[in-house]
Amino acid sequence: MPLDTSTYSLALLRLDGRRWNELRRLTAQISTQASADGSSFLSMGNTKVICTVTGPSEVKAAPGASGRGDEAVVSVEISVAGFSGVERKRRGKGDKRIYEMQTTIATAFQATLFTHLYPRSTITISLHILSLDGSLLATCLNASTLALIDAGVPMRDYICATTAGSTSSYSSNDEKADPLLDLNGSEELELPFLTVATCGTEDEVSVLVMETRVQVGRLEGMLAVGVDGCKQVRDILDVVVRARGKRILEGSQL
Amino acid sequence: MTNATASSAILSHLHRADGSATFSQNGYTVIGAVNGPIEVQRRDELPVEAAIDVIVRPAAGVGGTRERHLESILQSTLRQIILIHNFPRTLIQVTLQITNTPEDKVAGSKIVQASSHLAILPTLLQTALLALLSASMPLSVIFTSVLIAAHKDGAITSLTPNPSLVGFESADSVHVLAFTLEGKLLLAESQGTFTLDDWDNILEMAGSVCVPKDGADIEGGVRIEETKEDMTTFVKCTLEAKVAQDLHWYT
Amino acid sequence: MPREVEPSLNEKQFFVKALEENLRIDGRAFDQYRELDLEFGDELGVTDVRLGKTRIHTHITAEVTTPFPDRPFDGLFTITSELSPMTSPFFEPNRPSTTEILLSRLLEKTLRRSGALDTESLCLIAGQKCWSIRADVHVLSHDGNLVDAACIGVLAALQHFRKPDTSTEGESVTVYTLAEREPVPLSLLHFPYCVTFSYYSSTVEEGETVTLLDATLLEEQLREGSATIGINRHGEVCQIAKLGGVPLDAVAFLGCVQIALVKVKEISVFVSKRLEEEAKKRDKGGLMAELSAENDRVS
Repeated sequence: MPLDTSTYSLALLRLDGRRWNELRRLTAQISTQASADGSSFLSMGNTKVICTVTGPSEVKAAPGASGRGDEAVVSVEISVAGFSGVERKRRGKGDKRIYEMQTTIATAFQATLFTHLYPRSTITISLHILSLDGSLLATCLNASTLALIDAGVPMRDYICATTAGSTSSYSSNDEKADPLLDLNGSEELELPFLTVATCGTEDEVSVLVMETRVQVGRLEGMLAVGVDGCKQVRDILDVVVRARGKRILEGSQL
Repeated sequence: MTNATASSAILSHLHRADGSATFSQNGYTVIGAVNGPIEVQRRDELPVEAAIDVIVRPAAGVGGTRERHLESILQSTLRQIILIHNFPRTLIQVTLQITNTPEDKVAGSKIVQASSHLAILPTLLQTALLALLSASMPLSVIFTSVLIAAHKDGAITSLTPNPSLVGFESADSVHVLAFTLEGKLLLAESQGTFTLDDWDNILEMAGSVCVPKDGADIEGGVRIEETKEDMTTFVKCTLEAKVAQDLHWYT
Repeated sequence: MPREVEPSLNEKQFFVKALEENLRIDGRAFDQYRELDLEFGDELGVTDVRLGKTRIHTHITAEVTTPFPDRPFDGLFTITSELSPMTSPFFEPNRPSTTEILLSRLLEKTLRRSGALDTESLCLIAGQKCWSIRADVHVLSHDGNLVDAACIGVLAALQHFRKPDTSTEGESVTVYTLAEREPVPLSLLHFPYCVTFSYYSSTVEEGETVTLLDATLLEEQLREGSATIGINRHGEVCQIAKLGGVPLDAVAFLGCVQIALVKVKEISVFVSKRLEEEAKKRDKGGLMAELSAENDRVS
């Protein structure tokens, strides 16, 4: 069902009252579950994800297990809660979209973690999606970064992700179209958008996924806004990590 | 398209498979690949012989019971000719991909399941054999197969080897027979009603199509008359051409 | 099931050394595709794409079914791609591998979600009858870059395919056979092709990323990151998938999109040329020519 975004051009405010370059409220907690090696809770707007990390641990000795002699293998499990969306839906294991997300997160961290320090072991990231309102992949990536930091797995830098969209559909009012940052669920349904994840403070793009049609000229603006959004996300995550570190140093919460 | 019954074959054209063949006959085209002997999963492992896995994949859609049935026929036939006791606790994998069937042409584009699974069986058998040969799989003997349609016309029954689709569908009974090189019957699958006398005739005719006449010297290969269009000659000629091509550098 | 053999250390080192000297093992330039060959089958909607040693057979079929209740005006379009053990014994039937899932997802995103095929044109009676178009992608031989080749195969097959003509009277639909009425082509809105880039960074000197197009299987096994861009010749990006891997500079990535656009234009020209040749070949003395001659005599 098409959504009415015509009001945007009048006040330059989006459906939820944000301007084009504003993130939704991003709250993050680290070390939420004491029993896990690493854990985090992250919400971007109404998208909420719990992440736990197990490992690095020994590869289960199953025949044909994908253990590699020279480095650790990152594996990701995503489970979407039935109550996460507006409609209650059961999602089977065979969902290719979820499988693709798992592969994406796994390969992104495989390249960023110092996996060569842990040969013959595996690092398992499990993500539980509690609430779903756009920017799902981005939220999962951010939550995984926090949980991996909590688990103490060495990594090159944070992987921070966000989404960026464009107010134009692929043909209409091309000149006036604005790029948008951090789309919510209803905006994602209607507007072209991409998910971008950067590694570190440089504009190094680790993940870039776009599933909608957009003019090639739009892409540069969207990418620039997305990469800028990732920096904002990085600052927020950094504050959370540093606060946690400080508490540990003070010995108040070991 | 015009000469539907003419057979043609290409050998070893897929570079990743151990052996492969494309074979067309009667409007059907099948691509076959053989991998093996390879490691076998624990649950399929046989202690004193190689397990044979046949996979038949239709041109459109996913395989159903018909494909599974064809697989089981092929599996039990190939078990008889491959020297499976040479490779205990291994797997020989035969994949057959159907790419062209005459049914599609008649029906336009709609997916029509053939009324019978027998029509494609000879082509599948022959492709599997050529792919096995291409993979240099040790075989005890090679075989050839034929499809025969029998039409009843009063008291007389007329037999057509490798009938067209129309001939196949109007037949009273259809038969697939496979013979080894020595002329022994390896496989017989029949469908429809027929008398025992008909069966004798069918057997005789199938034998003449599949196996060269007594006079022909099957050992020498040179003396085979090119005019005789039996399947054994076809298989031999295909292989000879392939070997000649592979050894063109050898004087 | 045995696992896919990883490239040996020697192969790896040879490849890296060659890359440092700006060479690929098969002697191609970094942005050069392998030889692309497109053959059409006897039937309509059957294509056989060869990209080097990669070979993909695509088969389009159509049948009349009922549309989904939530989309009564849309026909169905499904793409199935299954890697059989024919491709390599490491693929198990009925248990999809990662390669297979990613391939089908990429094809789905590029061709279906971008609306390449106009599904509304497949509707016969709203909510009751519609065409279901099915594309079966059979990978016969895998030597890298399955996505690009499969995309070419499916799009060429869709353009080559003709669905039987139909007429609707009230609630009843008549489907005409090939002999009765000339079949009609599908309504395609645009032609998005995929271009896959492979990235290598740690293998070569610091701070430098080498980008290769149309990687072979060995190059795919050794790469540290890849990105697939689906784009049509009008410069509409339909899909980007850089699923993790080595980080890449954002500006460099925009350069990749421009390269993809150039390549897609080349591919489009090639495919339409082959389609034209094929149409000419079919036109001569085909069933259609016969039919038109008959009509002349009647009138």
